[in-house]
Amino acid sequence: MKTRYPDSKSQRSLRLYCMVFFCALVFLLAGCYGMRRSKGGGQTKPITQRQIVPTDINVMEGYGVEAVMQGLTFPTACDFDDRNRLYVIEAGYSYGEVWTEPKLIRINDDGSQSVIATGSKNGPWTGLAYHEGHFYVTEGGQMEGGKLLRVDTTGKIKILVENLPSFGDHHTNGPAIKDGYIYFGQGAATNSAVVGQDNASYGWLKRKPQFHDIPCQDIELVGQNYESPDSSGNRSKVVTGAYMPFGTASKPGQVVKGSVPCTGAVMRIPLQGGKPELVAWGLRNPYGLRFREDGKLFVTDNGYDERGSRPVWGAGDIFWEIKTGAWYGYPDFSGSQLLEGDIEFKAPGKSAPKSLLKKHPNQPPKPAAILGVHSSSNGFDFDNGRFFMKGEAFIAQFGDMAPSVGKTLSPVGFKIVRANPETGVIRDFAVNKGKKTAPASYLKSGGMERPVSVKFDRSGQQLYVVDFGILTMDQKNPKPKTGTGVIWKISKK
Amino acid sequence: MKKITYIIWASALLLATSCASRRSEPVKGRSFNANRSEVVHGEQLFMIHCQKCHPGGEGGLGIAINSNPAPGFVKRLQMRHGLGVMPAFSKKELSRSDLKDISSYMRAWKHY
Repeated sequence: MKTRYPDSKSQRSLRLYCMVFFCALVFLLAGCYGMRRSKGGGQTKPITQRQIVPTDINVMEGYGVEAVMQGLTFPTACDFDDRNRLYVIEAGYSYGEVWTEPKLIRINDDGSQSVIATGSKNGPWTGLAYHEGHFYVTEGGQMEGGKLLRVDTTGKIKILVENLPSFGDHHTNGPAIKDGYIYFGQGAATNSAVVGQDNASYGWLKRKPQFHDIPCQDIELVGQNYESPDSSGNRSKVVTGAYMPFGTASKPGQVVKGSVPCTGAVMRIPLQGGKPELVAWGLRNPYGLRFREDGKLFVTDNGYDERGSRPVWGAGDIFWEIKTGAWYGYPDFSGSQLLEGDIEFKAPGKSAPKSLLKKHPNQPPKPAAILGVHSSSNGFDFDNGRFFMKGEAFIAQFGDMAPSVGKTLSPVGFKIVRANPETGVIRDFAVNKGKKTAPASYLKSGGMERPVSVKFDRSGQQLYVVDFGILTMDQKNPKPKTGTGVIWKISKK
Repeated sequence: MKKITYIIWASALLLATSCASRRSEPVKGRSFNANRSEVVHGEQLFMIHCQKCHPGGEGGLGIAINSNPAPGFVKRLQMRHGLGVMPAFSKKELSRSDLKDISSYMRAWKHY
């Protein structure tokens, strides 16, 4: 027995060392979040030229990638006419306050380009849908407010609706057409319903100092207010409440009258134009809108950022099925989770977000899928079963804009994912080759930069990816690069 | 002591050289088939609770976890109690069997 004592002691020591080692390892891997610097996909040195190398993109086995068009400036969407000819829109505006001319461009059979229509300085044009001989365009409306435009094949533009509340952080998006109606999304004015210093950085607060979020129905406020520096740049402080202009406080029990058009909502108008009707509200930035074959409407909704007076941490982008009349939780929920009291949404070193509404219109529905925090999951299209998997949504992820939206430890997004709305399972479909999932400029390769939307052609067998182009980030602002947009085509070999 | 030092160094080397965090169908060039019920269930729970910060187990808002060599019980301990900025998941949110299913999925995903 005596001879076993040294063994037992050594075994105990070994066990102890192993435990200490694994605990240290876990701590090492979890690290100290606060000490780590942000490593977003745009946090690279500005690049002057872009390489286009389709083989730098990994897709599923049996599929191939080619670049069908390059040199575009801020392309955001594409669609096909009855003859399956490709049309692309250039936004005419990018975050970073860069203005160009919005355009609708046709790609001819010989590869040449024809400009069909040009817009005014009221971008960004965010979405395009072809329907029965006309193009329907959502105009973001940074200067004059959001609009829905109808463009005929000769380039003549008719305004179907205007003065949509689109002067803020997010724009008028969509469109999707069904049963004689155009459905569109209207993004929220702010990050989380409180106008703050971050909106001055975006550039719009100086242009529209009275602009703020507008609820679609009457809401009663808790009276939560936030102190922030004055936007004029002097040292004074101002106090701002939810759904109030910058510098206006709210009171407990204060009722804010709802009206349509509103922010953070899906609305619709008749095809020939008319007054907007509410479809669903309580969204943050419903960017992509599509009807599935069974007639159900789905949207991608960009989640909260860690910025401004009421930062929210860890809020993923949401893929929703839209139910008419429902409220989807903005500004007090992320998905179906209440922000208040949930440590998951408290930004490290900052105050936890408190509820702004005294009473919530309904418990938000369950998300169809939850996508990466800051992934900027935007335009999408459904596979009709002729491409990969029937009913799955192929979603373009523009990618993070860290550090201005918050810190990320690795680039997020910059790829095409497929989401199953029934199970909520998300898998990658197209990603750049390299050590990380990141934009080509980060990886110094010739792959995708910032995919902003996707569209199947008329056959349903080819997926077109609209790549916005290079957009890098400095500490505060985006630095978009004109002439770097690309259209990629993914098809079965 | 020598033996222990070797084990620690070998593990550290393994950590440094193995397990690239990228685990993605297009990177692998083939589909991931979740063919056991616990893996299917674990994947769905992962998508609800983990995916947004660790997309596909890669880094994002949070760290990459595909390359985390810690044993399953340590990971489950971390999920239950949280660590650093990672939130804890209560028994109401994720039962013990849910945590095991997530572990099964993560293991299957790591080795596919």
